[in-house]
Amino acid sequence: MADDDRRHGSGSVEPGSTDKRVGMEALRERGLDPEELRERLIDAIGAEFSTYYYYTNLRMHLAGHEDYKEITEDARLEDRAHFELVAPRVYELGGSLPGDIGDFMGRASCPHAELPVPFEGETPDLSQLDAEGILEVLLEAERCAIRTWSEICDMTHGKDPRTYDMASRILQEEVEHEAWFIELLSMERDGEINPAGHFVRGEPGDAPYSTNRRINDSA
Amino acid sequence: MSTYSVVIEVPEDCDAAAAGETVELDVADSEYVLAAARDAGVWLPADCQQGWCTTCAAELLAGEVDQSDARRYFEADAEADLILPCTATPESDLRIRACQYDEMLDHRAAIDEPPGRSKR
Repeated sequence: MADDDRRHGSGSVEPGSTDKRVGMEALRERGLDPEELRERLIDAIGAEFSTYYYYTNLRMHLAGHEDYKEITEDARLEDRAHFELVAPRVYELGGSLPGDIGDFMGRASCPHAELPVPFEGETPDLSQLDAEGILEVLLEAERCAIRTWSEICDMTHGKDPRTYDMASRILQEEVEHEAWFIELLSMERDGEINPAGHFVRGEPGDAPYSTNRRINDSA
Repeated sequence: MSTYSVVIEVPEDCDAAAAGETVELDVADSEYVLAAARDAGVWLPADCQQGWCTTCAAELLAGEVDQSDARRYFEADAEADLILPCTATPESDLRIRACQYDEMLDHRAAIDEPPGRSKR
């Protein structure tokens, strides 16, 4: 058989084909539906993008609590890092980001971390806003993220090492974020010492596990 | 506090160990149905567990639930007998069919609400 007649290994992807991806077919062979995974990832990074936005607003309203602001800033920037870490994976799995950000936010897998006060139209009633309320929103947002990335880890474990690695990196940081906000809320609301047990990040939003700068310098 | 009998039909095509089974458990009126099921060893699909993403959606076949803790639940969902067990507490004995995420997405798309309208 001439060299140019040889198939490219086994499987259903023809040599030179750009219609299919071995990186997706390999998942299918292992029992994981790459399209379903891709859609779950879009939902999950929609939630990360949403928290990046809403944490910006929550942070703005922690006036007088500079320590809380700094912690919220770390979580905010790390959630952006999570979005940026996984967005390329959506494309590798044959998908794309939604063209309309309204669609993207509508399908985010976690509730938007809105200011916990009544709104009159677009205007929040800040007279009812306090740090305790903001910390509760931050805590519950982190808890949702933990559930989401745990689901992705379950889905990909033993089948898709690349996505699993990303999800587990993100999950480690989300668990840290939960611990931060438990510590802050415990003291703010209950006057209780409930340490996260962590050391300070090297720089704001360091994302020690998930930043894609360490994975892809050009990102 | 009252406790109710909750019967959960898990369809054959559900991605759950209990697929094809019908299970029955007792759920207090202060407990969410999903959490009670998972505590009882019935691991049903879920994600946010805040009544938002709809991954846990189920069909309410009989009974009444309080869905007021859900972060995103529409009157039209209740009218279509679709519930979110992650934030649903029983107000009577219940019978539900689990794993109705696709049906919920179709329903939400039909009423032009998220997340269905973005995913259908």
